[in-house]
Amino acid sequence: MEAVTGWWNDFFWGSLVVVELFVVALIMTVLFGLIGAAAKLSKSRVAQWIAGGYTVVFRGTPEILVLLLFYFGSAVTLTAIAQTYDPEIKFVDIPPFWAGSLAIALIVGSYATETFRGAFLGVDPGQVEAARALGLSNFQTFVYVRIPAMWRLALPPFGNHMLSLIKDTALIAIIGLEETLFVAEQAIGTTGKPFTMYIVVGAIYLGFSTIITLSVMVLEKYANRHLEVAR
Amino acid sequence: MIFDIALIIDSIPKMLMGIGLTLQLLFLSGALGLALAIILLLMRISGRWYLAVPTMVYIYVFRGTPILVQIFIIYYGLPQLDFVRESIFWPILREPFGCAIVALTLNTGAYVSEILRGGVLGVDRGLKEAGAALGLSAPHRFIYITTPIAIRLALPAYSNDVVSLMKSTALASTITLLDMMGIARTIVAETYAPYEIFISLMVIYLILTWFIQRTFGWIEKRMSRHVKSEV
Repeated sequence: MEAVTGWWNDFFWGSLVVVELFVVALIMTVLFGLIGAAAKLSKSRVAQWIAGGYTVVFRGTPEILVLLLFYFGSAVTLTAIAQTYDPEIKFVDIPPFWAGSLAIALIVGSYATETFRGAFLGVDPGQVEAARALGLSNFQTFVYVRIPAMWRLALPPFGNHMLSLIKDTALIAIIGLEETLFVAEQAIGTTGKPFTMYIVVGAIYLGFSTIITLSVMVLEKYANRHLEVAR
Repeated sequence: MIFDIALIIDSIPKMLMGIGLTLQLLFLSGALGLALAIILLLMRISGRWYLAVPTMVYIYVFRGTPILVQIFIIYYGLPQLDFVRESIFWPILREPFGCAIVALTLNTGAYVSEILRGGVLGVDRGLKEAGAALGLSAPHRFIYITTPIAIRLALPAYSNDVVSLMKSTALASTITLLDMMGIARTIVAETYAPYEIFISLMVIYLILTWFIQRTFGWIEKRMSRHVKSEV
């Protein structure tokens, strides 16, 4: 373990990158999930079709493939655009942080789409009708009635999606983001202790998973507080 | 920026050369992982703490860390330890293929054992009590009553796990294996045409996913043909 001593700082900053990635990707995941669920539940055939294609493609292909497609694909496109203005430019890319967080958010968002769709269907139609009767607009019904009723139903599976999200952040090291796995590779380069370094990375991720699991437990308790039966 | 059709036609057969390796990884680690999952399940529900607690820790660790980190620990990390290099497992752990199989097996085993446990817990208590009333011993009840019903209950979740195992096999490309993903990455490195190559590969993976889902759908239908659906 003494080999790690000089590397704690780097591992700390690497972990911070994982947290930033997680937060950014989580926000995008919720957005994609809500948009996808709304499209699947809408009356428009086109929207249903697009959302259906989205979930099939992103749930059926390997995460690493989506990630590499986004990163290298965007780099090729951007480089081609840049070269039309200045042929001297050799390489332009989206920063790995953004390409990576967008890719994993799209993947987990496709799972969240199904979760949110199920949760919206689980909201009592009577509540929505009551909101209509009270004269709430569609948007108000969505924000004040549907969302507060659905998030409680969506929470247990969404907890699992958050775990997938934090674990998928490890993949972004492949496209060169300086997160924990990347730090470990550098540390191995100087210390020659791959087992020790990768175990540290594993321990960091286990810590994050534990925090997420515990937070979801607390949130579930909070969400269901009105359902607790007096004992 | 034109979509190079000739390149696609040229590289699809090349990528399909790797499908054998992808399927080997899928079937071998799928079968071994299922065996491991059954052992873990039996230990978990044995009711003896010295069997159940290590299983819970195992499942917690393997579900709480990224599969990529697990692959790296096994392939790059284990050779650091002298006793691993002197053990009888060294011929397996020396090869990237063996490492990929070991990592995928250990990972999927943890997930599948939880799925199977869900199935076992879902079996109606009344059926087991009926078995006991008929004088069946505990092992008999488990084999003839619990198991068939538990398998049927666990199948939908299990098919999802086979799909995610198939997606995880793509990570074998990170430890130098030339599965479909590995070949695609080599072609992209040579031609720098990520859109053409990666999107064609996505289609191939989607077909595999579709095939897995269809197969399990068929098995599910066969296994529940005596249960007339209410729908």
